Order: sequence, then structure tokens, then C-alpha cells
Amino acid sequence: MLFRKLFRMLVLGGAAVGANAGCSTAQAQQATEKKEDARSAMDGGTGAPQGSEAKADAGAGGGVQGW
Amino acid sequence: MTETQRRIVAEAWAFRTGVEREAADRFARLATAISRFDAPSPLPALMRRAAEDEQRHAALCLEEVAAACCITETESVATLTTLLAEEVEPGVEKVLRTIARDEVAHGRMGWAHLAREAARYDVSFLSSWIPAMLSGTVEETLFLEAPQDRDLLRHGVLPPSRKKAIFARTLEEVVLPGLETFGIDAGPARAWLSARIH
Repeated sequence: MLFRKLFRMLVLGGAAVGANAGCSTAQAQQATEKKEDARSAMDGGTGAPQGSEAKADAGAGGGVQGW
Repeated sequence: MTETQRRIVAEAWAFRTGVEREAADRFARLATAISRFDAPSPLPALMRRAAEDEQRHAALCLEEVAAACCITETESVATLTTLLAEEVEPGVEKVLRTIARDEVAHGRMGWAHLAREAARYDVSFLSSWIPAMLSGTVEETLFLEAPQDRDLLRHGVLPPSRKKAIFARTLEEVVLPGLETFGIDAGPARAWLSARIH
């Protein structure tokens, strides 16, 4: 009984945590994609950044995280 | 290693698995992109090799998480919950409860990471690595006969035979089925255990 409970709590519980994290990432990605679609519609599909966002993008540098 | 240190280490290696996967994807993308506009360039071949290197690094990072969380923390939770079911000194019980809460979170963290990796990549390679992880998890003396002092139980110390039994059952009923859930063959790990227990 103890071990079955541990399996549920740790393995299945952990998998659920991982899956939920995936959902929130996917939701965030969908939101970003919708935002990009909306922007694309506004700028006629040129992809040109707008206003303050353009400045933020210019300063972001597209860095990559390492160890 | 303290509990806090173990958690930090596991988080760091989980993060690094992601870093290495992203690097592999990036090198693969760059190899494709460069070959489109500079076909004679030697760089795409080098980048494809680098992508393979990064995938191998990601596997090594995942190994650290599996060993630290999926095996060690899961075994710790089993030991703690077993002790908590016994009559232990009130002060000892308080300590055990506090540690158990943290250990559950650490164990879940490893299984969560493994589940996410398994959903996107083939993690079956871990199968042949599990025996080495297990050897690093326990002292071989765990499997030897040792004197039993049941008085130590109320102070939070399991008799050796009980400790061995809990270790084995946790492997057989939690860790190995857990690994199999994510497509990792537990055969080599079962053989490792069988050689020591039966």
C-alpha cells in the first residue's frame, strides 16, 4: 500500500507537474503566437516591430542562456 | 550533501539538460540555414556534429537528475514514510516530517523533468545507465548481514534488514515501474538488484 501510494504521489504526481508546466508553456506560446498574428495583420505582414517594443527588441540582443 | 544542496544540484542539472537540448536544436537549425546560402561551407557539417555533441551532453545532464531525484529522493521518501509509521521520539518525528515534505518535492521534481524529457525525446538510453546510478546510490554493505538493534528505531534509524527490504521494494514497486512508464527498460536495473538481494 505504501509503495503504491509512493508511486502515485511521486511518479504520477511528478508527471502531472511536468505536464502542467508544459501546458502553461504551451499557453504562453499560443498567446505569443496570437500577439504576433495580430501584429502581422497590423503591419501588413512585414513583421516590423512597433513603437517602444521596437526599442526593447533592439536592446534585447537575442542572448542565449548557458550553464 | 545537505537536502538544500541536493535540491539546488538537481535544479541546476535539469536546467542544463534544457540548455544542451536548445543548443543542439540551434546548431541543427544553423547547419540547415547556412547550407542554403553557402553550400560549399564546411560549417554545416561541423554544426551537425556539434548538435550531436549537445544531445549527448543533454543525456548526461538527464542522468544526473535521474540519479539524484528519481532514485535517491524516491528512496529517501520511502525510508522517511516508513519511519513515520513507527513509534519514534516526538523530536525525531518533527524532524522526519519536515524532511519528508521537502523530499517529496525533490522526488517529484525529478519525475516531472523525466516526464517532460520523455514526451519530447527518446530517453530509453538511460536503461543501461541505471545500474551504475544504483551502485552510486547505496553502499554495498547495505546488502550484507548486520546486527539488528531495534532500539535505534525510535531514534529514526532502521534496522539494516528493514532498510535493505525498503530499498528493494521501493526500487521494485516505485522507481523501476516509474522508469518503465517513460519508456526506460528496467531489465538491467532488475538484474542489478537481483544479484544483490536474492
